[in-house]
Amino acid sequence: MLSILLALAAAPALQNDGPLAIRAKAVWTGGGKVLENAVVVVDNGRIQAVGVDVAIPDGAELVEHDGVLTAGLIALHGATGAVGETRDGTRPALPEGRVGLAVDLRHLDFVALREAGITCILVTPDAAGITGGTTAVVKTAGGTVLRDPAHLSLVFSNEGLSGNTPPTSTSGALALLQNLFAEPRGIVAEARAGKLPCLFEVREREDVRRAIAFAKDKKLNGALHGAALAGEVAGDIKAAGLSVIVPALAIGTPKRTLDAVIRLQKEEIPLGFGLDTPWNHAEALRLSAVMCVRAGLDRQAAWEALTAGAARIAGIEARVGRIERGLDADLVMWSGDPLDVGSVARRVLIGGRSVAAQEEVR
Amino acid sequence: MTAALFTAVLALAAVPVQEPEARAWTIQAERVYTGTGRNMERSIVLVRGGQVSAVTANADEEKERTQDVLRVYAVTAGLVDAGVRVTNWTSVEQSNEVTPNLRVADTLDPFALDWDRLLRSGVTTVLASPLDRNVIGGLGVVLKTAGPETIAARTVKADAVLRGSMGSDPSAGNHPAFGRPTDFYSRRPTTRMGVEWEWRKAFFDTALNHNENDPGRATLVAALQGKLPIFIQAWTTQDIRTAVFLREEVQTRPEFAAAGMNKPRFVIDAAAEAWKEPQLLARSQTGVILPPFPPAGRTRENAFMAWNTAKVLKDQGVAVALSSHGSGDLEQRLSVQAGYAMAGGLTFEEALAAVTSIPAMLLGVQDRVGTIEVGKDADLVLWSGEPFQPGARVVGTIVDGVLRYEGWTAVQGATVER
Repeated sequence: MLSILLALAAAPALQNDGPLAIRAKAVWTGGGKVLENAVVVVDNGRIQAVGVDVAIPDGAELVEHDGVLTAGLIALHGATGAVGETRDGTRPALPEGRVGLAVDLRHLDFVALREAGITCILVTPDAAGITGGTTAVVKTAGGTVLRDPAHLSLVFSNEGLSGNTPPTSTSGALALLQNLFAEPRGIVAEARAGKLPCLFEVREREDVRRAIAFAKDKKLNGALHGAALAGEVAGDIKAAGLSVIVPALAIGTPKRTLDAVIRLQKEEIPLGFGLDTPWNHAEALRLSAVMCVRAGLDRQAAWEALTAGAARIAGIEARVGRIERGLDADLVMWSGDPLDVGSVARRVLIGGRSVAAQEEVR
Repeated sequence: MTAALFTAVLALAAVPVQEPEARAWTIQAERVYTGTGRNMERSIVLVRGGQVSAVTANADEEKERTQDVLRVYAVTAGLVDAGVRVTNWTSVEQSNEVTPNLRVADTLDPFALDWDRLLRSGVTTVLASPLDRNVIGGLGVVLKTAGPETIAARTVKADAVLRGSMGSDPSAGNHPAFGRPTDFYSRRPTTRMGVEWEWRKAFFDTALNHNENDPGRATLVAALQGKLPIFIQAWTTQDIRTAVFLREEVQTRPEFAAAGMNKPRFVIDAAAEAWKEPQLLARSQTGVILPPFPPAGRTRENAFMAWNTAKVLKDQGVAVALSSHGSGDLEQRLSVQAGYAMAGGLTFEEALAAVTSIPAMLLGVQDRVGTIEVGKDADLVLWSGEPFQPGARVVGTIVDGVLRYEGWTAVQGATVER
């Protein structure tokens, strides 16, 4: 009889703060590199060594893992820890609003994320008005804010418009955005100067075009989020040098949408997946990548979009996204191939500390 | 007609679905209705480089023929619909009732399915306008219904008209301030009077106050100087009168003459009741766009539109265009409206002009579209029978030389040879 016990609080090992060594059947370090029967040494919250012939330090706790060890997953769009706090409807533009300050970093909603192997999430303001403020990257345990502000959110989707607060029209919204950037101050000036990337909230392909035209005009960089069919205008996105955050995909996602994601990858556009937590389940992140692989996306590209690629979009690639000496010890021990939905995260570490574990019941 | 009269032949391979190319076409037709008064039987229209390169009855021009041959019963110029609404509420900036500088082009979606619907009914050029929920709604754009998937590439004339409305559309649903807080929901105006007053205020403010910070000022100045036509929706008699009198006020008041802003050009859109006082429109030399004939006797605003509306206006010398007024209803397609107008007394030639050259003229794009003439855009409608008759249908639509819609196989008796 197979059932799974969630051991939330008391994982039997990995409780000490001393050095730790994990010997795994396979270690996916990132960039498509796989080490067989390799060891990862962790200390002081960082990865100290990776390799097949790495010596295990004296006094280190050794964990044998009969599966795959990878870097933690990075979800790119959500409101976990800040539900109800990501939209201020009293004014159409609130560029200085900081979601990073609204997040309850110890909210219980983070539990489901880390159990799914997600160790970082980009928390975003709602796509309402013309800008709801700035995004932030937080870890799903430990209270760490990795980057705040991470992007200035700019809304180009008609979904951002409301019938009862101005602007109510696409043209009116564009006029307000132009005004905002006419004499930029504060966070807007930083985005205008290219020091802060933008998160362009879009939905339809034409929204993508409008966002690209604006980005080119103001010389902005960053990522587009929200357009399922963005890949059908991939050439324009490539030319603008923007990245794309693909909204979460599911079993029922149409083939056309999946094909559009593949077109983005063929144009070598940096990709990540948006999760829109807590409205989507945390497992939807890995499922999004699996759906793309099933439709023909290159496995390596799909994995990058979950880890290192997402880290670049979030601006945290110097800290996380790969298994490499010096990076944060955000690690996931998978029961098998993580791009197989049948695999589960057996144990998840953030900063070298165990934050989630699932033990098989015998 | 018999099936033998209508045969469509595609000599080369199938036109690719994704990115059709501009080809050199030889279109052989039993009837070529050029719209210039020169109608020809058993003739040929040649298309090269996206333009009409020859219209001839001379078989000697055989040598100029291309390999791509389309054989149809009749060909006309692409239809021009000066009244489409391929937008939703996001074309309306509700925070102000007067938004002259708002561009509807900003909110158009080249991927919308409405374009295909228009194309299938033979419409190749349209005026897209904001929804009429503001008094002065903004700038309309003239564009093709097919082409590259960007609005800019399809645009024939940007900022072509200033669009606004008389009557109750801009006031419908607005709340008076009494009894509830004055807030965003208390949009003004709430009456026909108020709507008219907003127009007049906008015009007088433009002529008398030089507020250069007003973002809509440049647009209103151009409109009052006659450089930008004003398309104004007015369904009922009283609203049509209000619009005409407003224009006459601008033409005669010394304030406007002193500012050099006394020459506005008006086109009345959706003028369902224009038949009641056609002399008024003839006197004011105002163009008219008619809405589709109402299936239940009355149009919007409870206006009554007679079958012979187009005929009565035409006989008074008024330039009359027909339109679908944005309706997606099969009965309200522009091609069907032309047939209804014929039932109301227009000749075929007059009905054709009312859906091609006249709207093109009202929109200021007559140098490019509206007739089949050498050098004009190759926007052509291919018909299985006499255009606008119930038994005929659109079997092909060419836009800028590209066959964008093929309906051959849907017609019984049609054959396709590849």
